[in-house]
Amino acid sequence: MNHTDEEAYAALRGCDMAPNKTAQKLLLQGAQNAWDMLSEEQSQKHITTGSGSLNDILGGGIHCKEVTEIGGVPGVGKTQLGIQLAINVQIPVDYGGLGGKAVYIDTEGSFMVERVYQIAEGCISDIMEYFPCHHDKASSGQENLQPESFLAGIYYFRICSYTEQIAVINYLEKFLGEHKDVRIVIIDSVTFHFRQDFEDLALRTRVLSGLSLKLMKLSKAYNLAVVLLNQVTTKFTEGSFQLTLALGDSWSHSCTNRLILYWKGNERCAYLDKSPSLPVASTPYAVTSKGVRDAGSSSCKRVRVM
Amino acid sequence: MDMNEEQPRVEDRCIPWSDGTQLLEDAAERKHFLPTGLEGIDTLLGGGLRKGQLTEITGQSSSGKTQVCLYSAAHVAARHMGAVLYLDTSNSFSPSRIACILDELPVSLIKEPKDVRLKRVMSSIICESVFDIFALFEVLDQLEVSLNGKVHHDGNKICLLIIDSVSSLLAPIIGGENSQGRSMMISVAMILKKLAHKHNLSALVTNHMVAGNEAPKPALGESWKAVPHIRLMVSRDRRSNICTATTLKHTLLASGRRMKFQLLPAG
Amino acid sequence: MANKLVSDMCLPPHLAHLLAARRLTTAKDVLSLPEVELMSLLDAGLATARDAVRHVSEFACPPCQTALALLEERVRLGGGGRLATTLCGLDEALGGGIPLGKLTEVVGPSGIGKTQFCLKLALLATLPECYGGLNGRVVYIDTESKFSSRRMIEIGQKSFPQIFRQEGLAQKMAGRILVMRPTSLSDFTKSLEQMKVTLLQNDVKLLIVDSVAAFMSSENERGTTGFTQHPLRWALSFLKSIAELTRIPVVVSNQVRSQSNDDGYHYSFEVKRMGDGVGAERLESHLVAALGIQWAHAVTIRLVFESHSGQRFIKVAKSPMSPAVAFPFIVESSGITLLNDDGIDVSGPEITSIRCQGGSQKGA
Repeated sequence: MNHTDEEAYAALRGCDMAPNKTAQKLLLQGAQNAWDMLSEEQSQKHITTGSGSLNDILGGGIHCKEVTEIGGVPGVGKTQLGIQLAINVQIPVDYGGLGGKAVYIDTEGSFMVERVYQIAEGCISDIMEYFPCHHDKASSGQENLQPESFLAGIYYFRICSYTEQIAVINYLEKFLGEHKDVRIVIIDSVTFHFRQDFEDLALRTRVLSGLSLKLMKLSKAYNLAVVLLNQVTTKFTEGSFQLTLALGDSWSHSCTNRLILYWKGNERCAYLDKSPSLPVASTPYAVTSKGVRDAGSSSCKRVRVM
Repeated sequence: MDMNEEQPRVEDRCIPWSDGTQLLEDAAERKHFLPTGLEGIDTLLGGGLRKGQLTEITGQSSSGKTQVCLYSAAHVAARHMGAVLYLDTSNSFSPSRIACILDELPVSLIKEPKDVRLKRVMSSIICESVFDIFALFEVLDQLEVSLNGKVHHDGNKICLLIIDSVSSLLAPIIGGENSQGRSMMISVAMILKKLAHKHNLSALVTNHMVAGNEAPKPALGESWKAVPHIRLMVSRDRRSNICTATTLKHTLLASGRRMKFQLLPAG
Repeated sequence: MANKLVSDMCLPPHLAHLLAARRLTTAKDVLSLPEVELMSLLDAGLATARDAVRHVSEFACPPCQTALALLEERVRLGGGGRLATTLCGLDEALGGGIPLGKLTEVVGPSGIGKTQFCLKLALLATLPECYGGLNGRVVYIDTESKFSSRRMIEIGQKSFPQIFRQEGLAQKMAGRILVMRPTSLSDFTKSLEQMKVTLLQNDVKLLIVDSVAAFMSSENERGTTGFTQHPLRWALSFLKSIAELTRIPVVVSNQVRSQSNDDGYHYSFEVKRMGDGVGAERLESHLVAALGIQWAHAVTIRLVFESHSGQRFIKVAKSPMSPAVAFPFIVESSGITLLNDDGIDVSGPEITSIRCQGGSQKGA
């Protein structure tokens, strides 16, 4: 091949002050090498679920820049976990949180604002317990720790059809550009309208795979966590009916991580079904009046709401 | 970007003729194998991922497709074989997992401290997120320009191109009444094969599975089926965590053979 | 908002013309097409297609509210917005009663007291606000011909003697309840369709469907599941949207059917437990809600009526507000009465199970 060309490139590379960067830039714009990504990843904070053991199997909590799907039977605690994450993402940086905001997209109408208030109170009382010294001195910081301010940090969209669901996901691009402090987007649930109203199943698959790519893009571009709650359905495999998450085989590939909530005897358990970096694992957890907590924790007892 | 306006360059239009002897020579001298680092798969493939070829990994959700990609990236980069370009569509490229795989590798023959090696190896794996088919065309086009211009990454030539997963980019565009999606899929295949052959790199793509008549089958249908040189199906037993790879299609070896392999415990 | 017209969106003229020329008239038409398909339909480039999608999405997207604004609105509209059941323990567990604007399901074997519960709710909703009612009309869709005015008045006279002593009040209360008796599935869907108008015209404060499973179970035997499931799915989202639109509580009752084995109860990753005690216990009488898991996902609150250990229980099986708890009850002439208001904590699979012991099967 042409020698002079090669020499020219070599010279070009040689004379540059930062050959590393230039070479990469020339090769592919916007790409990042794994080393830089590793250090970036290690400095990332995760969104706590409220349960230590659940955080452990998730590698510290829900990760930003990833799409996490959470599925389970009705009543197992999907919405509870969703609300908990919308609150926990707002834990101030001083208290080890992300100090971000949340977008909650409610397709089922199961978002009960009184319960959100309760969980916010639970979260604040736990913070006070863990950081008693902060509590004493920082009266200015304490002002922020009101359930009302946590509620003000949740942007709520109520969706009544799949068209609206598509619209809101498209619109998020603009919305997130205007609200840069949003660190989590929760869709509760991604399934409902698509399962009710969509007639053409092949088209549904195409639309859904397009949506999942858009969500992936948003999570990466705005450095936020996307949490998709999904319903379960029964499927005939290996000679028997088994529970599986809804929306079909194609959809099952469209998340980074998948967590399945299920009953094991008398305990609520979470099973990490899919993750590129973490082992398959399961752990018990509990839903208390304060929200999602470790199984067997003292606050597990039912507290009466007066 | 409009596909129709793209004009092939002069040298692309007249691909030089080559005869059988030249091809054989080329195969022996340039078309080496790149190890995936997973013994079972390397044995099955007769040494690993072949340069100049397009290999497809298919399998159910969470069967280990991404893990095979991460392993291959780590091993190829660790053995000084060249740089790796990883195109990620599902935010599942995990640098910490790669670091963990590298950590388990025996300290290399060249006396190199672990942390130095880690930095060197990780720096030669480049990752880019791609979220739609148009972005993929753009990236592949940019890559081709760079390769034609002999721009290397850190002095390393790209030898492995991974797309995890190509099916999630193609799923929204194929099917339905219009044929445009299908022709885009075919041009992705053409570009990948051309890049692989011309620049002597190995292309590795992943594909998901959909419900078939009896058993699940790879997605993307019949016209894509003809594209990869090698199609490998992976599955994982959830209880023992042992994976099985089966060749569904192989240009040289008999298909239908299977091997077990095990992934490192993560975390 | 799915049917919002593109022509009302004030799009840039070139986009408006382009969409109109291809007969893409509603937001739904534009947004339910994948990008590539939209491009080829519009015969336009990627930039134009994306532009169109962006504009249409912005118009079709519902407004955003903060949770705080939601709470303030809730407070402004008067408390949490509940219909108290007057069963103290249950009201407390539900945070005041049956929530307005939500779908509540009552499920249990026949004869256990679901209809009694529905009758009581209907009565309560008609009461003046000073007595804890909603002071409005009630639409009662009675698919099983079980509604009885006499029984309802009896419940009223026994539980609120001080109110019902007033002359003519019982008749007035009963007159506020509109009963519909659809006789077939198509009848039922038709009456649902007319519902929105009825509800807005008549100052209706409660909608009861007793029971929603009636047509489904009989027609399921004939057609394939896929075919008959569809109108039901439609009814489901319709009932939900009615609840939210009119901000009234919607209560539906659901029947049970027996389930012979553990099929459909486990994920593939769960190790099957062979021959342990649980299986034997289940064989006794293991019931599931007649409408499957999809229905169960969609209701906001699920109350299970069941019987075991010689008693009947009302169990809060699903609620975003409260933990699972069960209350023993009896059916008296004054309707359903709780034996105690403390409730029993329930955990594990017991929360979702529906038990039925012989004896109470045909109690009422």
